[in-house]
Amino acid sequence: MQKSFTLPKSDFDQFFSLLGQMGTVYAAVKVSDQSFAFRAVQSASEIAFDAIRTILPPKKFFYPPSETLITYDKDGIYENQPELEFKVIFGVHPCDLAGLGIMDKIFASGHADSHYMRQREASFVIGHSCMPDKHCFCQSMGSDCAKAGYDIFLTDINTDYFIEALTPAGDEFIALAQPILASATEKDHERNHNFWETRSAAFTNGFSSGNLKVTMEGEWDNKLWDELGERCLSCGSCTPVCPTCYCFDLVDIAGLNNDSGSRKREWDSCQFTGFAKVSGDFNFRPTPVDRLKFWYRHKLHGFDDAYADKTCVGCGRCTVSCPSGIDDIVAVVKALQVSSAAKNVEVSDA
Amino acid sequence: MPENNSESKCPPSSCAANTCTAYLPTRAILSKVTEMAYDNYLFEFEQIDPIFSSCLPGQFVELWIPGVGESPISVCSGRVGGTLPLLIRKAGRVTKALFDLKLGDWVGLRGPYGYGFPVELYKGQNVCMIAGGLGVAPLRSVWQYLINHRQDYGRLVLIYGMKHSDEILFADELMALRQSHELELFLAAEDVTVCHIANLDIDAGRVTDLIDVAELSSDMQVAICGPPVMYRFAVESLRRKGIADERIWLSLERHMKCGIGKCGHCFIGGKFACQEGPVFQVTELANMHEVIEYPREKIQI
Repeated sequence: MQKSFTLPKSDFDQFFSLLGQMGTVYAAVKVSDQSFAFRAVQSASEIAFDAIRTILPPKKFFYPPSETLITYDKDGIYENQPELEFKVIFGVHPCDLAGLGIMDKIFASGHADSHYMRQREASFVIGHSCMPDKHCFCQSMGSDCAKAGYDIFLTDINTDYFIEALTPAGDEFIALAQPILASATEKDHERNHNFWETRSAAFTNGFSSGNLKVTMEGEWDNKLWDELGERCLSCGSCTPVCPTCYCFDLVDIAGLNNDSGSRKREWDSCQFTGFAKVSGDFNFRPTPVDRLKFWYRHKLHGFDDAYADKTCVGCGRCTVSCPSGIDDIVAVVKALQVSSAAKNVEVSDA
Repeated sequence: MPENNSESKCPPSSCAANTCTAYLPTRAILSKVTEMAYDNYLFEFEQIDPIFSSCLPGQFVELWIPGVGESPISVCSGRVGGTLPLLIRKAGRVTKALFDLKLGDWVGLRGPYGYGFPVELYKGQNVCMIAGGLGVAPLRSVWQYLINHRQDYGRLVLIYGMKHSDEILFADELMALRQSHELELFLAAEDVTVCHIANLDIDAGRVTDLIDVAELSSDMQVAICGPPVMYRFAVESLRRKGIADERIWLSLERHMKCGIGKCGHCFIGGKFACQEGPVFQVTELANMHEVIEYPREKIQI
């Protein structure tokens, strides 16, 4: 059985100091009345422990919105390998950890992406438990319990944190923090168990995810898509906030004399008009409906074949960030499921 | 542009750890430009990385013009030696910029990427190649490969359709092929009012007409490359000839920006065209969306 520990909340400052010895600590801080963001923090008092979701998920630490991949001059072409600061990322929730696990899989597979991997390796991730709000549906996507993407995980059990390590780096940190930790007792395990039981029962949002592929395929021509497409602004707000949206563009930045410059990657969005355009101005997804359906399919089952994962982790960010209110994945899936079920009834009645 | 051909560089320590960036091109020198027809030119690059000698028919490379961008270009040669030829139409930002280069200027190359036409699987069989327009370029790598290994293959048929007869590409090579009888050549253009190649008979019509004329047998393997709109009609014609879907191979066009399955631009259904394609067996594409052409409805080919 995995070895577990507890930390009294009253000793969190000491715990935070140990984190700071590893590198720059980033955590969710309140940035406006309703929003939180991962920022560098100097002390534990800056951390918003009650943050539900940050504006951007933690992918931004390893896959920044814009980064230089290569540079060139008249003598050669060079890989860009900037000095990296070691990042300690505190308070990542289970949905975002699942997202990091998926990003790790995508960037490590096949031709591994050294830019992502280097930044990922220069990090230590501390998961943190949370309670769902009305937009959370990680339970439906099977990402409500952290299985990947973190080094250690802290569960809030009232007066203490229940702490488990997942990686060798996590074990090393636990050894370092041993003086302020206690081995978890049977009672602590019970408190931990009770927390997750309570949390599981607290979800008010969600759907049955077993039939997503069948539902999406069967409802591909549902009129609902046209209604959503009518309202879609193709603004792409849903993709940067998604913990698993990783599509990018490659952009050249030429120097003034044109014999030197750099090549960058920048976050792209499948919701932008030209994303699926090929030469001759032929566009495989010319309308908002096409692009929206592509995104929904990608998130709900489109990556089953490529990576054996659903890439939606149920964080609810797209729902809260969509200016048109059409990225309510739960409402859309439920509507499609109702339509699909009605068809099945018709078939069985016939 | 500098004229020397320095090596691409990344820190030795990262190379040793096999963590070099996959986005690092190697330099190549533009050595020759040959006008083919209208805006189509054959660009040849020398001092290429030895990796490109592993190019297989139907694979593609990423061609980089520094300061402008990259473009995926199909390999159009059956055997890449010291020079890499690429057939390029002046179309987008990158390909237009290529025309501003002088001989001796350098470009960047990455690749080769993707799975091309399964020439190993074709061994011992009859093969038909169907090209539409610029799609003749990737298929040139196929016919050259097959002819280089002529004893390994049975009947070879090349069907090549184009809009206007004076748009014909690789005309001299096709003429030589017709005279050598290495393969059976069928040519058609929708408009044959102008033909600058007197000895190349070009019929009026489309590739689907030629499929009827060519007397294809149901045991043929078929490699197709052309504009998306051609695919549905070509596949339907082949089916009518009794050729099963598992014998039909399509090269799908997508903007493969990274070439390594990361950037997401070439995602079709559950597959990355840059990694699992660009050549797909028709059976692989069954029930997939947006495979060969828009419209809105699910395309079943």
